[in-house]
Amino acid sequence: MFEINGIYTELPWLYTGLAAYALATVVAIQGVVRVRGGSAGATVNRSYEHIVLGFALAGVVLLAMSIGERWIRIGHGPFVNLFELLMSQLFSLGLIYTLIYWRYPVLRPSAVVALPLMWILGIWVLTLDPAGSAFPPTYYNKWLWAHVGFGKIFLSFCLVGTGIAGVILLRGVKRVSSWFRQMPADTVLDALAWRFMLLAFIFHSLMLVAGAVWAQDAWGRYWAWDALETSSFLNWLLLGASIHARTTYRIPIRIGALLIIGIFVFAFMTYFGAPFYSQAAHKGVI
Amino acid sequence: MIKVMRKLASTRLTLVGMALLGIGAALSYDNPVSTPVWVLVVPLAFLAVNLLCAILTNSRINRRGGLLIFHIALFGIIVLAAIGRMTHMEAHLEIIQGGGFSQDDLINNRTGPLHAGELDKVMFVQGNYTVDYAPGMTRGLTHSHVMVPDGRGGWEEKVIGDDRPLIINGYRFYTTFNKGFSPMLTWIPERGRPVSGTVNMPSYPLFEFKQSNSWTPPGGKEINFWLQLDTGIDDQGHWTLDARKARGTLVINTSDKRIELQPGERAVLDGGVLRYDRLTSWMGYKLFYDPTLHWLFITAIFGIFGLATHFWRKFKALPIRSPKPSEGTLKPAWSEDQGIVPVDNGVQVTMATNKGQPNV
Repeated sequence: MFEINGIYTELPWLYTGLAAYALATVVAIQGVVRVRGGSAGATVNRSYEHIVLGFALAGVVLLAMSIGERWIRIGHGPFVNLFELLMSQLFSLGLIYTLIYWRYPVLRPSAVVALPLMWILGIWVLTLDPAGSAFPPTYYNKWLWAHVGFGKIFLSFCLVGTGIAGVILLRGVKRVSSWFRQMPADTVLDALAWRFMLLAFIFHSLMLVAGAVWAQDAWGRYWAWDALETSSFLNWLLLGASIHARTTYRIPIRIGALLIIGIFVFAFMTYFGAPFYSQAAHKGVI
Repeated sequence: MIKVMRKLASTRLTLVGMALLGIGAALSYDNPVSTPVWVLVVPLAFLAVNLLCAILTNSRINRRGGLLIFHIALFGIIVLAAIGRMTHMEAHLEIIQGGGFSQDDLINNRTGPLHAGELDKVMFVQGNYTVDYAPGMTRGLTHSHVMVPDGRGGWEEKVIGDDRPLIINGYRFYTTFNKGFSPMLTWIPERGRPVSGTVNMPSYPLFEFKQSNSWTPPGGKEINFWLQLDTGIDDQGHWTLDARKARGTLVINTSDKRIELQPGERAVLDGGVLRYDRLTSWMGYKLFYDPTLHWLFITAIFGIFGLATHFWRKFKALPIRSPKPSEGTLKPAWSEDQGIVPVDNGVQVTMATNKGQPNV
């Protein structure tokens, strides 16, 4: 039922989910372009945001269906190969970003930065082989769920912060600066972006702790400086040092925005780059 | 003294320490033998001093409960990690089915200088084990049966494997992918008393085609062994490695003889008679001991809780508010006095008004 004539039945759900994300991105960009003329005090029609919200939510639901379908087909969750990691990350980033989009209208125009970033994952997953994967015995541990869950929340908050940081930087580009006139001043955006990075720091810390407990159970050591451990620790250190630097020095807002984007890029490389320079993301997987 | 401590508590020094730790961490990637432990120890010690001085002298830390807890926890983690390295123990061992744990069997033993555990009181006996394999020889779950003292003079069976270690007196025994077969042999010399023992063959099924080893009996010449196994191995389907279902023919090679033995059979060799008693198996374990593990976990959670509390209080007092999209109109009103910060187009967003301090 779940693999008909060699066709992986989770793919239709995945494709339609990605299409929904694409539509959300297009409407979000079209929306900010359309309202750019809104001057101070003007009444602006922001109904397009409901359409973005609808498409983003549809994308999340469709990706959840895709993950569920694959789960039933191969017998385990999306934890092992890159195809599964990207799928689940698209779902979790979409879910948390959609929740924040819905809850904080002031941040909505930043979707024109955040949603295209998710498209890196979206295009990437389309190039990968959706063949099934073997579930390593050490992955049955409950702490894996906590470790992965906290990691996804961390990356989602990083994405929100990066979206806001992107707006700060794009405001310096003459052609697109008017897109974000409906958003607060850079000082406020800077504070908002770092607020999300602080939340990201908490969840990154939780991810490291849960990962250490899992590693102790799974491989008999809580820390061994493998590719992912080293990279994620450096990411945590960079985030902590950036927060510290911000309280120590008066970092210019644009530099702060670049720092946030740098942290996100580092996190992105940690999550999705480790498989390229390490035979196994975590030692003991095989 | 306070003056010196204030200087040591500098947040600029913290950044230096973090940068050094980052370099040390990058150099420690994959634990290269050429990287000394000092690349981590020095920045951690530096940060520990910096942290301690900051906790004691920096009012922005020690007057804020959550932040204070976080920084104390960070200091605690560094101290506990140091204690852990001083008292830890790591080793590997191979135990024959039916054999008991013995300290003498430990290999690759690495022990901290202050290790003071009670390894001599650790006792368990290895039972049978099974390992599941999926098609393509992908290793699945390991179920290793061990007998441990039940505290009432008897024995209690436990099933361990993969992420379920056997924990006795703080010593944690983890099964590994390293396991295999052992022919049990008895050497009956021409003169003297017979001796029995096992010869562990290389890991199975990893070295399925290299099941060979050698042994020199007391008073005899070196004997080369080759074990021909029938385990029902199936690399295309699901298969379970179970020594109870395995059969093994032992091939003996000396300088002038090649003899095949079935369990119970014997061969006359130079200096004595070798009897192949039966086929058994061995399991490889990783031993880990660190008395600070639970404290590290508690301290880390405590620290994160402190940081979360600090942010919660801060953010709760300064919520993010903005007009709903349906409201449409963006009011050009703001006032720093009212805790409302300026915006480009009059969108009213309530945020921090900490004078001179970034809103974090």
